[in-house]
Order: sequence, then C-alpha cells, then structure tokens
Amino acid sequence: MTFRTRLLAGFGVVVLVPLVVFGLGIRREMSGRLAAEYERRVGTLAEIVSADIVRQSDAIAARLNALKGVIAANGRLRAALIQGGDRGYVLDYAGDAMGLTGLDFLQILDNEGHVVSSGHFRNEFDRPGAVPPLGGPALVNGPTAEGSFLALVRSDTLSLPGKRFSLVGGVRVDSLFLARLVRASRIVRELSVHVVLPGDTATAGDAAQIVAEVALPYVALEDPPRTYPARLVITRSESLLGALRRNVNTWFAVAVLVSALLAVLIAGWLSTRFSRPMTEMERRVVMGDLARQVNHDIKNGLGPLRNVFRHFTQVAEKEPANLPKVFSERQGTVESSIAYLETLAANYARLYPQSNEQPTDINAVVREALRPPPGPENVDLLAELLDHLPPVRVDALALRRVIQNLLGNAVDSLDGKPGTVTIATERGPNGTVRLLVSDTGRGMSKAEVDRAVDDFYTTKKGGTGLGLSIVRRLVLDAHGTLRVDSHPGKGSKFIVELPSA
Amino acid sequence: MTVALTDSVEPTHAPVGRNDAERLVFRQLYETLVRFDCEGRPVPALAESWTSSDGGRRWSFTLRADAQFWDGAPVTARDVVVGRGGVGYTLNPIDARTVGVWLAKGSDDVPAFLADPALAVTKPAPGGDWPIGTGRYWVTGGTATPEEIRAYSSGGDTLLFRQASGKDARDLLDAGVDLLVTRDRAVTDYAATQSAFTVVDLPWDRVYVLASVEPPTTRLDGLEQAVRGEARRPQGGGFWWEELRACGPAPAGAPTASTGARRIAYVRGDPAARDLAGRIAALGGGTAAGLGPAEFSRSLTGGAGAGYVFALPRRVPEACRAARDLLPPWPAAVAPLVETRARAVVRRGQSRWTVDGDGTLHFVPQ
Repeated sequence: MTFRTRLLAGFGVVVLVPLVVFGLGIRREMSGRLAAEYERRVGTLAEIVSADIVRQSDAIAARLNALKGVIAANGRLRAALIQGGDRGYVLDYAGDAMGLTGLDFLQILDNEGHVVSSGHFRNEFDRPGAVPPLGGPALVNGPTAEGSFLALVRSDTLSLPGKRFSLVGGVRVDSLFLARLVRASRIVRELSVHVVLPGDTATAGDAAQIVAEVALPYVALEDPPRTYPARLVITRSESLLGALRRNVNTWFAVAVLVSALLAVLIAGWLSTRFSRPMTEMERRVVMGDLARQVNHDIKNGLGPLRNVFRHFTQVAEKEPANLPKVFSERQGTVESSIAYLETLAANYARLYPQSNEQPTDINAVVREALRPPPGPENVDLLAELLDHLPPVRVDALALRRVIQNLLGNAVDSLDGKPGTVTIATERGPNGTVRLLVSDTGRGMSKAEVDRAVDDFYTTKKGGTGLGLSIVRRLVLDAHGTLRVDSHPGKGSKFIVELPSA
Repeated sequence: MTVALTDSVEPTHAPVGRNDAERLVFRQLYETLVRFDCEGRPVPALAESWTSSDGGRRWSFTLRADAQFWDGAPVTARDVVVGRGGVGYTLNPIDARTVGVWLAKGSDDVPAFLADPALAVTKPAPGGDWPIGTGRYWVTGGTATPEEIRAYSSGGDTLLFRQASGKDARDLLDAGVDLLVTRDRAVTDYAATQSAFTVVDLPWDRVYVLASVEPPTTRLDGLEQAVRGEARRPQGGGFWWEELRACGPAPAGAPTASTGARRIAYVRGDPAARDLAGRIAALGGGTAAGLGPAEFSRSLTGGAGAGYVFALPRRVPEACRAARDLLPPWPAAVAPLVETRARAVVRRGQSRWTVDGDGTLHFVPQ
C-alpha cells in the first residue's frame, strides 16, 4: 500500500467514522422525537374533531329551537299548518327560514313524515322525509333538484293543536365542512376526515391510517326511512411522517457524502503535497542541478590549491631554496582549502547541507576568503572592514561560500581587464551587519539584474549560472537579504545584510 | 305614460317579439290587418273593414284610409302581402287598398293567423335602425337607449318604456312607473300593498310542457304549487300541438341516445321552468339541469336528456309554423304541466290600455 493510499484511508477513517456514528445517532433521535410529537398532536386533534362535531350539533339544535319560537309567533304559518291553505307561503317558509338561520338543510315534516316545507329543495313537498332520532346528530342525504348532499342534522318537534310536526335542520357535510373539522391541519397536514356510510368500502388510500372514529346514525330515505350506523373516520397518511423521515435520511446521506468528498479531496491534496513522486524530467533536472552545484563548490575549493601549487612550482624552478619557507607560508591555505572540501564532501554525503549557525566574526571569514587573493595581479583588491562589528549568526562555511562566489563574480566581471574589486563590511539597519562586494567591471542592465540570481542564468562564457543562485539561497538560509546595485559599464555592487547574533 | 320592461328589447327581433317586453313594445309599433281582443273578437287595426265570401274562403280587407308608414309613405295592399303567406292561405293584393286572403278551408270567423306578429307590416329603416312600422307610435334609434325607449304618436302622446331587466322591478314602481307587466309574484304581492296600484290578471297565455321520448309514468301532482307564481292545471281540450295532422307527417327524426342520467333540462333564467323541473325530479327521481338558451336549444334538438321543460304559447296564430319553430324535431311526447299568466300592475287612473287576445297590452293614443 502506497503512502498516498495509507494517507487517504487514514484520513477517511479519522473523519468519516465519527461522522457516520454521530449522524446515525442524530438521525435516530430526530426520527423518534418526530414520531412521538406527531402521535401526540394527532391524538389531540382527534379529540378536537369529536368535540367539534358535538359543538356543531349543539349549534344546530339551538337554531332549531330558536326557529320553533319564531314559528310559534307566526300566525300566518300557524294557521296554514293547522287549517291548510296558503300553500305557497308554507312551501316558501322553510327556504326563507333556512337562509335566516344559516342552515343548509331545513325541513318541516308532518306527523306522517311527509315534507310540508323544505328549505333546501322547495319542490320536494309531500314526499317522505328523513326524521333523525331526537337528541343527537345524524347524517341524512338532502335531495335537491340538481342532486343530493350529505348533511349533519338535528331534529326537534313542533306541536300545534291537533298536529305534530318535526323540524329537521342541519349543515352541509362537504369537503369544506370536513376540512374545517381538521382546521388544525396546519399542524398535522396529513390528517383528514372521511364519511363512511353504509355500503361504503374504501375510505382512504392504503397509506392512510385510521386514528379515530366518531359513530353517527345515518337515516336513509327508504320507505319507511331506516337508520343505519355510519362513521366519521379520521385518518392520517403515513406519507408525511415518511416524507419527514426520508428528508432526515436524505440530508444525513448528503452530509456524509459531502464530508466524505471533502475528506477525500483534502487527503488527496495532502498526499500530493507530501508524496508526489518526481517525474523523470524533474529528477534529471534536480540531479543536474546538484551536479552543477557540486562542480561549482569543488572548483571553488580547488582554485586556491591550484594557485598554491602553481606558486610552489614557480618557487621550485626559480628559488628552490625558498621552497620550505614558501611551503610553510602557504600551508595554511592548503589546509584551509582541504578542510573546505572535506566539509563540502561531508555535507553532500548527507545530501543536505547541514547548517551550523553560530555567532561568527564576519571580518575573520572575509580575511580567510581573501587568502590568497582571488584573481590576477592586475586586479586591485581592496578590503574595507569595519572593526568591532557584532558577530552574525551564520554558518561560517556558508558565509565563506557567499564571499568566494561574490568575489569570483566581481573578478570575472572585469573580463581580465585592470580594475578594482572592493569588499567591505559595515553596520546595517536594525542591528544587521552589511557585507558589500563591488567591482568596476562591465555592470549589468536592469533585466540582467532581475535575472542575476536565477538558477543557470549567466552572462559569462562557460559560466554555470549557479554562483549568484547559490549565494541567494545561502543568504536566505541565514535569514539575510541580498540586493544588487548595478549599472552597465560602471560596475556592480552586491549588498548582503545578515542579522547579528 | 311610463311603462316598465322586465326583459331586454332587441330591435332586430321586430316585429316578432321573443319575450314579454318585446311583445309589449312591438305591439304598440307594428300593426297587423286585425287584432283580437281579450274575448277573441276581431278589432280593426291596419284594416278598417272586411268582408267574406265563398263560404268563408275568400276574405277582403280594406286598409284604413290614413294608413301610412312612419316616414309618411302610404301603406298599400302590396306592402301587406309581399313576402307573406303560410300553410292553408295566401295573401293577394286586390287593389291598392284592398287585401285578399284566400283560405284553403272556409271559416266563418276572421282567421286568427291574421293577428300573427309575423304578418305585421314593416319596412327596413336606413342604417339598420328600428324597422319602420305603421303603428300609432313610432320609435327610432334616436329615441331609444339601453335604459329607456321613447315612443311618440302623431298626436303628441309619448310612451316611455323604462328598462328594469336585471333590477328589482319594485324599485321602478316606487320610482313612479304607471304600468308593469310581470310574472314575478314578489312584485305583484308588493304592488298589492300599494294603494296607488291595482293588479290586473292577464289571460293565461303560456303553457309549460314536458317534452320527452316517452310520456311521464310518474303521477305529476302538485305542479301548480311548485311554481312560485300564478299557475293552474291545464284546462281540458286539445292544445295546438296536439292537432298537427294538417301540418303533414310527424317528424321522423330520432333523439340522440340518452346519456343515462335522468336529466330534466330547462332554460336557465326561467324560474317557472326551474321549479317544474325540480318538482318532476323530486317526484320521479333524477336531476334538474339549467342550461343556457343556446345550449338548451341544441340539447332539445338532439333530445339527449330525459325530459325538457319549457313554455309554449297557449294559442298560436299558425300551429304548423309554431310546431316547426317551437317543438323538438323528433317525435316527442309533449305533456302539458301548468298554465301561467302575467299580471299587470297599473297605476290607478290609467285607462288607455286594452288587452289583446294573446295577453299583450295595447295602448291607445290620446
């Protein structure tokens, strides 16, 4: 299993498993509470519906009772009912009274149960009417010219001399009436009321569940009228609860998927960040870069040795007697260069230059780098070192590499012509120590300055383009800054500022 | 005199009125050769005198001397006969002022069809205005608006017809109209409470019938009580639609198959027809269905319902034409249900009006 795969799997386990466990717990808790609250409200609403029917029934009874009083006070109707005659008035009476009492159904029936006056269907007179039992509500079918409607009715009696009449009044049981019964359906939206009459089979869809029933007598218009049991059935649909649960599940699944996706993306990004294998081209570039840096560093180390040995050769040929003396004088240079190369070799052996930052006297390192003086004899090398500078926190070897590269570049910029290379030290701003290497060479244009520290950029024939690049990296590693001030034809000045220890 | 109208009046229907208001207005504007009074006696109208011969088969009508159109053109016999005629009679100009009526079957009495509004003498007016008639009163588009119609006589008398269609006619009574013809019991009941008005019964002029494929099997009782207006059981004797043998073979068309529902159709807006349809539905089951006039006419022609309740005139000048125009084009059983009549609410002191045999009021100019 690759590192990337392990990283992905680990991240997934760390993020997703707790998330799923947490989500499942929330989902279970929500579903449970939802169902419990729903059941509680449904139960309450069923009680409200039952009470509402009783209230409607009582209201009808009150209106019929009031109508009885009005009829008793109506001499014209009384006379017509007792003596007959004035038929048109009697036939129209129930219609007028029905409108005034706000009822949808009103019949006045004689003692044989025949309609004397009908409010909802004026022309059903003399036909048998349905008389519900006294004292409670009932359902009847109210005929009209255009059809019939179901009504919730109450009945009352009206006694006149020698005659007894029944008053049957009620309200229309239609979808509006049933909807009003479950007016709290804003809370429990899937609750509905159905009327189940004798002979009815289906009341609601398969998904519906009966939560309450209210029994009512149903008076059928048969000859003679008969009473059957009927029911107001309050049902609820599982669809709401199911929908709510589905919503919870859906959002839960969405949350898990989104989290998983994010986890995978983050893990992928991290694994790419940490473990992206180099391409062959990148590997070759890095290896080439490393090889050039090694070559460059070794050349810097071999340069003094070559000069020393050239000096030894000249002395051996011209002044052999002085050879031991000269050897003694240049022994330090040889040992210093060898030590430099050994340190380089040790660092490259670890494939990473180990920084050995410690308080360092910058002037001492400069003097070390100037022994022997770099460049040919026609180059005037000036050192303007300010005494009593604070030590800088830097790897002395790295600082020497910086100085040697800057001096080498300065000498090279003279192109073999006579000129001056100046190396100076001074105090910089904010407690820094400044190292300045300037020359009177060919200088650089602004574009050349902008690219001077890029890898492999060089204006020298045979140059590697790594010198200033290495200088920049080393200075940055020492938490310092590198600036270049150069003018074509007038020379360049490299300014290194290093923090003091 | 101000007269209230309880229906709308459409001038293009002239001279044959299609509702009570149009019949009332057109009767004052357009003339036939004769009219019949409420006892059935002929009364001079466009013709001032008449004679018969050949056993009552040839009748000659002499136009009144001052007979002229509203525009002043004299009325000639040719104006009376052109384009007119019917089953069993022909109209012929004998001379400029004499119209001959030749009957296929002799009659001792003046033929009733001569009072048929369809035979009223008119000529078209320029610009589609009210047709130009010969009556004592005249109307033009300039004297008529949707709210009122002003009819003038040559003697300076003015009849003002005020529209009450869609309004409560009792408001017009309170607003000062002198005469109103209505079938609304609420209006006549209200007028009876007002000492300024008297309510006059007009002749029974309308018979509501049930047209169906089969005669009704249920005993239809209580119909006259079902109608919230004045109605009575049909009087004995044959109605005109029962004596159509002279009109040729009965219609042979078959009604469209019934939709299955026992539907009693009526014209929406006719309260008597609605009441009767409801009563029939109560007695025999089924349902009543109110249809718009055009829809009712299409349904009656097709015969898809179980029954149709509608009104027929009690008397018609020409039975064959009435049967063609008013009865369904299939062999229907037409059962008379009730007869109805209108009532005139008249301001006391107004006496310049008579009642024609068809129940339409006729005003006499001063």
